[in-house]
This record gives sequence, C-alpha cells and structure tokens, in this order.
Amino acid sequence: MAEMVKLFVNGQEVEVESGKNLIDAFEVIGIEIPHFCYHPALGSDGNCRMCLVGIEDGRPPLVPACKTPVSEGLKVQLDTEKIKKIQHDVMELELINHPIDCPVCDQAGECKLQDYYMSYDHQASRMRVPQVVKEKKMDLGCGVIHDQERCVLCARCVRFTRLITKTGELGIINRSDDARVALFPGRSLDNRYALNIVDLCPVGAMTSKDFRFKQRAWFLKRDKGICHGCSMGCNIFIDHNREKYKDDLIYRFRPRLNPEVNGYFICDEGRLGYHRENEGRLISARIGTEESSADQALQTARRRMEGADKLLILLSPNCSLEQMLAIQALAATTGATVSGFSDGSIKNGDADGYLIQDDKSANRAGLALLGVNTSPEFFESALQRTDTLVSFNNDLFITGPNQAWAKKLGEIQIIAISTHDTLFSRQAGIAIPTASYTEYAGSVINKDGILQTFGQAVCKNSAPLDMIRIAGLLGGTLTDPEALMQAMKRKIPAFAAIETDQIPEKGLKLSHNEAAHVTA
Amino acid sequence: MSDRSQLIFAGKPFLYDQERDAEFERLVKRYPTRESMILPALWLTQEQEGWIPAEAIAYIADRIGTFASQVYEAATFYTMYYLHPMGRNHICICRTLSCYLRGKQEIVDFLRDEIGIKPGEVSNDGKFSLEEVECLGHCGTAPVVQVNGEFHEDMDVEKLKSLLTGLK
Repeated sequence: MAEMVKLFVNGQEVEVESGKNLIDAFEVIGIEIPHFCYHPALGSDGNCRMCLVGIEDGRPPLVPACKTPVSEGLKVQLDTEKIKKIQHDVMELELINHPIDCPVCDQAGECKLQDYYMSYDHQASRMRVPQVVKEKKMDLGCGVIHDQERCVLCARCVRFTRLITKTGELGIINRSDDARVALFPGRSLDNRYALNIVDLCPVGAMTSKDFRFKQRAWFLKRDKGICHGCSMGCNIFIDHNREKYKDDLIYRFRPRLNPEVNGYFICDEGRLGYHRENEGRLISARIGTEESSADQALQTARRRMEGADKLLILLSPNCSLEQMLAIQALAATTGATVSGFSDGSIKNGDADGYLIQDDKSANRAGLALLGVNTSPEFFESALQRTDTLVSFNNDLFITGPNQAWAKKLGEIQIIAISTHDTLFSRQAGIAIPTASYTEYAGSVINKDGILQTFGQAVCKNSAPLDMIRIAGLLGGTLTDPEALMQAMKRKIPAFAAIETDQIPEKGLKLSHNEAAHVTA
Repeated sequence: MSDRSQLIFAGKPFLYDQERDAEFERLVKRYPTRESMILPALWLTQEQEGWIPAEAIAYIADRIGTFASQVYEAATFYTMYYLHPMGRNHICICRTLSCYLRGKQEIVDFLRDEIGIKPGEVSNDGKFSLEEVECLGHCGTAPVVQVNGEFHEDMDVEKLKSLLTGLK
C-alpha cells in the first residue's frame, strides 16, 4: 500500500495516494478532473489545458493538474468560477472547428468531447464564420482511419508512436488552426500495436477500419476476458452484442488495464483475433459424412472410445486449466495416454520483447503444471501405438497437413472436438463442436507464471458444449466446478494458500517453486 | 496560417556538401541533445538548396537520429523554411505597421506590374520570388526590403528598380 497524503479539494479534506498527479490520485476517490492529453501510459504533456486547477498557495493562478503531484496539505480548487470559465473556454476552443458529426461518428457514446460538453460547456456555438476544412477519412495504414477535423491535437497518438512503439510515424504539423496530425509524405503507420491509437484518441479522430460503422458503442456489452492469441495472456474487454433475431457476435476486443501483464495496450493481432471467434466455427456435429446431433455424436464417440484398444487423447495448450483437469480425469478413467504436443502453435522469432510472444497458445504453462508431456517424440510414439485419437481442440494441421503422419492418421479413428471447422476436423471420423474461450469461464497461466481467470462473455444461440461437459459425457468423472476448484488447489499451492476461491483480478503470480515446475 | 503539409520531393537523394557537412558536425557539439540540431540542420539545407525538399527532411532525421515526423513538424511550423523552390533572388517586404504606412504597398504593386509576381509567388522565369514578412526591425528607416538576406532601407520604387536590374 502506497503512502497516503491528506489534502483539500474545494475546502474538503481528502486522503489520496502519494506519488501520483492530481488527475490520477483524484480519480481513485471519484473526483474527475477533465483532461484530453494526459494518459498514464504516455505521461503528462500539458498541451490541452483542460485540466487546469487552482492551488491556494501563492503559485501562479492556475496549474495543469496532470503536471502537479499531490502533496500534504495542498489546497486544490476545482469548482471556482475561474476554473469553470477556463473549462468552458477550452471546450469552446476545441469545438470551434469540430464538425460535430456525432451521428455518424464511431466514437459517439465514449467520446470525451461529448462527455465534457455535457459537464463543462453546454452552450451554443458562437462561431459564425466558416470552419477550417481539413482532411477526412485518411487511411494511415494498419487499419487506422484518421479524421483531421475531429482532432483536438492532444498528441496522444503522436506520443504513442514515439514513446511506446518507438516508430514515430506521426507528427503534428503546421501551427495554429492549421495544425494537424499527419504522416511523413509517402509513409504509413507501420507497427504491430497501431490500433491502440484508436483507444487512446479521446475523440473520434482515430477510428478503426475494422470496427467503423459496425456497431454503436452503447449497444455493446463489455465483458472481461483474456486474449488467447499468445502466451502473454493480455487482459481484454470483449465487446459483443446480440442484435435482434441474430446471434451473439463479438465486435471488438479492447485492452483492459493490468499492470502486471499487459499494461494499457494489446497488439493488433490479438485485437483482431475476435474474428476467429465469430467466423469459421464448427457449427454442427458430424459422424462420418452424416451431420448429427451433438448428443448422438458424443454417444458414438463414447462407444468408439470404449471399444478402443489404445486410446490417445490430445490436449490443446489453449484449453483452460479446468478443462485440462477434466480431460486428464477422463484419460484416467479410460486408460488413455495424454499428449499436449502442439508445435504448430509456436512461431519462432515472432516475439518482439514487448507483448507479442512466440508461443501462440494461452496456457502451455498449464500443460506443464499438470505434467502433460508435450514432446513430439512422445506424441509420435503414442500415435504409432494408438488406434483411436481424441483431440480436444488441438489442430494437428495448424501449419498444414503433416505428411509424416498422413498414413497413420488415415488408418486410425479420429474424434475431433473442435471449436473451428478445420482441415483436421474435416478428416476426423467424428467431429463435435465445442465452446471457444469467449464462451466459457476458466483459468490460464501465462508465460510469466501468472494465473488469471476469465468469465463467460458470449452466449451463442445454439451454444456448443464446453469441453468439461464433453469430457463428462465421454465418461470423465471430474466435471463439477467445485471439484475442479479443489483439484486446482491441490495442483497449485499458491492458489490453495489464498482464502477465497477467487483468483485476484490482476492474476496470481505463482511462487518460484511452481514457476520452476511450470517451465520444467 | 496556411497548410504547409505538402512536401515536394526533389527526385534525387539529398546530401550536405562538404562545407555544410563540416558545419553540421561543428554545430552538433554545441547542444546537449542531437534533437536540438533540427532547426540549424534545416537552415543548412535551405542555404544549400534554396529550399527544403522532402528528401532532406528524411536525411536530417536519419542523420540526427530522430523521427522524420519530428523534423517534418519543425519544418512546417516555421514559415521561414521554404518547402518549395523559390526564385533565384528572394525578396522579402516588410508589411508591419511602419513599412505599411511608409508605402510598402507601392513596392508590392510595382513588383506585381513589372515582374508579375504577387506575395507568395515565384516568377515564371524563376528569377524572383516575393514574400511579405512581419517586422524586420528597421522601422526607423521604413519601408524595408530584404533581397537575398540583405537589408535595403528607405526603399522606394526607383531604388528597387535599379537594385533589381543588377540581379541575374
């Protein structure tokens, strides 16, 4: 717990954390100081002047709150007539050349200009001269669309490219009312985090090509999730909506602050990973070439598994810990060998030392924790001995069909429990659809040994079964949530050590011993 | 203000000549950070080329070790950096109060009628370019005209005429 300091806001004494600036410190206790340019990840720039506050100690009459650290006994004024006038004037300045095209603007509903207009301005425009005309719908590259007329020149996007991605594509050129955000002529945005600019932009100047005109912000339901795009385990918001007479669809992923994992940002690949949750899914179960109900397919699968001589179960490194435990229990009941082989999901050399990792699966550390063998040798020898292969969402053909196993895979029975309609699931004798990671709740361990949970976000009209349920229907004994929780606690002492059954919001860092075990 | 975002590519790579290269290296030692060299580096370019092509902005950014966007910002912010080719002889006429009152407009009109250029333009033969600027600090001897960086005070149409005939 950080040290606390006492200070006064509008004459009232409050206690806030030290070491922060006024904006951040007051936000925690529910006092808003309006601001455009300040962002905790980008530091205070002091260019927008919206956060000016008064301090009663002989300083200049007004100071920017973003550049003023809290200190003991500080007397801060937020509601004097002078401050209100300043806020009103800054808003009037920002709106002089703003097109006010909110009805067609994607930012509407989550726009600082809209919010602050209602809170701090609320006056008709006095401008009777033509507005300055600038460029609209500029394609900056990387799926970012820029509208110079909506821009308030807070320079968050410019600072993001200079301070975070260190690519520096953007700059604010010209001056006075002709100032605008622009790229150097002939160049475009070129970094793997560019779409964070869209989130950073406090107004509708930066919009995402992918999300533009798809959905109004206020229709979206925001659920917390964990990105399964790689082993970083970035925290995200899953923004989804079920339109009337339609299915529940995801419209975007947005980063969710977790200082222990991803900070304020996510990569573009992860952000656009939601498409895979909506598209290319395995819709209905299939036995041979015949479509069937999931029940029937599961019954047939169970009979084949019982009749199998040597059963091999293939686990995906994307499964949640709970699913892994349930499937391990299924393997114990059926006497199956379990492999977690999935080399295809590792892209060597793709990591960038920031958020993007080589390993494109979310829970490989979980496989290690549960002692599942992931070596190709083990898988290959098990494959040569087996006559029935059950894959739990592990796509063996993720990098294309493997010629080495083609003959063997042709000879054995394959039961594919799959979220997606893939080459592999199409080759399987039985294919059963299952819920994907936005459709179930679970826990995963990221590459740094941080255990994180996520809840169910999307609820499909014809919701495919979760893998835990499927494991139960195939003969597994460990499917009860409470029993799974206890099993997890037995495997993870750090989890057992905390009193509640809830893994903390920011994740649980596994102890050194466990981490060593994870990487073993 | 006007939009200066349109840069012109000269179509050939930019490099400092030997003299300016040495000057760059001499100046860069004066500053605590290399970014401080942006403005002097742009001046050196303008001295050498008469204007600042897009290639030069990218070159300066690489040479200083900063982003092209940052040099682009500075070059478009300051109107004394010319982002398109100017005439071989660049004429600046002060348009601030004293010069205005002492007849700068007659000089501007003369140039429009005789040479055919208005402020902000380059003559068709590329010989002259004209720019109206803010106070040049010679109010006591207004109107003042700057030709290729040199001050000429107490200017009138006759004096300007003889001044310009001597130029190439």
